[in-house]
Amino acid sequence: MPTTIEVEIKRQNGPDGTGAVENFSIPYRPNMNITSLLGEIALNPVTKEGKATTPITYDSNCLEEICGSCAMLINGKARMACSALVDKMLEEGGGKIKLAPLSKFPVVRDLAVDRAVLFENLKKVKAWVPIDGTYDLGAGPKQAPQIQEERYPLSNCISCTICMEVCPQFNDVTNFVGAATIGQAKLFNMDPSGSVLKEERLRALSGDGGVQECGFAQNCVQACPKGLPLTEAISDIGRDVFVQKVKDFFRA
Amino acid sequence: MATTASAPPATPQLKGVQPLRAGEGNSFLWRRLHSLTGIVPIGAFLIEHIVSNFEVVNGPLAYAQQVKFLNGLPLVRVLEWGLIFIPLLYHALYGVFIAVRGRTNVNVYPWAGNWMYLSQRVTGLIAFAYILYHVLTQRFMGVSLPEHPGLAYAKVQFELLSHWYAIPVYVIAMIATCWHFAYGIWLFAAKWGITPGNVARRRFGWVCTIGGAVLCIMGLVSIFTVAYSRPYSPEDVMPAQYDNVVAPTVPPQQ
Ligand code: HEM
Ligand code: SF4
Ligand code: FES
Repeated sequence: MPTTIEVEIKRQNGPDGTGAVENFSIPYRPNMNITSLLGEIALNPVTKEGKATTPITYDSNCLEEICGSCAMLINGKARMACSALVDKMLEEGGGKIKLAPLSKFPVVRDLAVDRAVLFENLKKVKAWVPIDGTYDLGAGPKQAPQIQEERYPLSNCISCTICMEVCPQFNDVTNFVGAATIGQAKLFNMDPSGSVLKEERLRALSGDGGVQECGFAQNCVQACPKGLPLTEAISDIGRDVFVQKVKDFFRA
Repeated sequence: MATTASAPPATPQLKGVQPLRAGEGNSFLWRRLHSLTGIVPIGAFLIEHIVSNFEVVNGPLAYAQQVKFLNGLPLVRVLEWGLIFIPLLYHALYGVFIAVRGRTNVNVYPWAGNWMYLSQRVTGLIAFAYILYHVLTQRFMGVSLPEHPGLAYAKVQFELLSHWYAIPVYVIAMIATCWHFAYGIWLFAAKWGITPGNVARRRFGWVCTIGGAVLCIMGLVSIFTVAYSRPYSPEDVMPAQYDNVVAPTVPPQQ
């Protein structure tokens, strides 16, 4: 049983600040997760060398892997801080835990990054059901149980951006949209009310950075903390976009 | 009464990876064309090429006849450029463009699909380098086989035996190209939505593996057959017919 938890954290004091690494040595307690470890550092922000420092900045909210805000690199891999267990991570890291911000998003400070690109992408594909609420539309159309079953797993997305972080095609050269947005486009295309925007979503996803940039490395499904069927969504949307392009070509 | 519709909220300027350029650009078309050219015509040609070359197991004459048959196809030079060289050049150059835009990360995420992603790029680059060497030495240098099909066997054998590196290069390239094509078919089916489900993809994976292995074995057998099964002989096994040989047009008188 270790007596301390050794943590190495990549820090940055602002969006344009320079990076620096700080080490911490935290008294061991069993059954911690990474967010409680960061909380422990905030209680006594002193580095291993005894130098006083500032508490670590990071995003978190729900602490139960449902808000999607706490994604970071833990031992180099993208994971949710609230569901990553310290005991497991210590074992994996050989007695040491390394924390760093996600590598493909601009750093706000320390471990907090700006993941606005996912929000913008969801807007680009209109990932919603268009009911603007000027009058009561009554109950929505019924959904067959088969449709519900296919949609439910896709509705579990928590916008954590892990699928984008781990994707070799998601980078600042391709500016690929990423798996999450494609999954949400399928979710709303399959909604009986949301499907009125289906063609618009498909046309959006045929733009530069769209579904075609996928190279099928399949890291997204491996890494997604909520187990979304992302490769299936990409395959389905890939076909739907193609069919839409053919239709548009002959209709134009 | 408000007369102007309010402008849609502007996309804020973001640092880092940029949002989707919804509906803009033609990269979908170019990317799908790259994907399709990998299957037809290039993949189809690869199968034809390996099957045709397998004729070497039936000896120099059979091989010569196969070469002669292919070169006798109508508009063969048009077919060669339109269905092989140009699509291949497009697929290869666009393939390099795709490859350099990826940020492979198997060192961090060493998962099977991620390795296959990297392997598709590596085998593509190997195939590109090899194809340049292969086409240059076998098609555009040395004796012209369209004119002397009878020398096909001898030419290939000579190329394979006259440089120490030729056979290792051919073997590596054969494996890399068949790998690239086999996984390419699998990728094609996944990306075009032919095999969306996990089960379909797994099953089709076996089909591609077996198909690729068969092609690769046929190719390797051809390489070793042509190199080692017969002593080298520079003889033309199908010399050209001379122009002044005229077939009798009138039946001989009884
Ligand atoms: C022997 C000739 C070749 C054949 C039969 C072939 C076939 C294929 C096929 C069927 C695909 C799958 C298409 C898809 O990804 O949807 C593919 C993908 C690919 N090919 Fe080729 N190819 C050949 C040569 C090359 C060359 C010379 C390169 C140059 C580097 C190349 C680079 C690529 C790349 C990078 C991909 C992956 C695209 C992606 O994952 O998005 N290929 N190829
Ligand atoms: S699809 Fe999965 S990995 Fe991607 S943002 Fe949603 S929950 Fe996160
Ligand atoms: S804090 Fe909500 S997902 Fe981790």
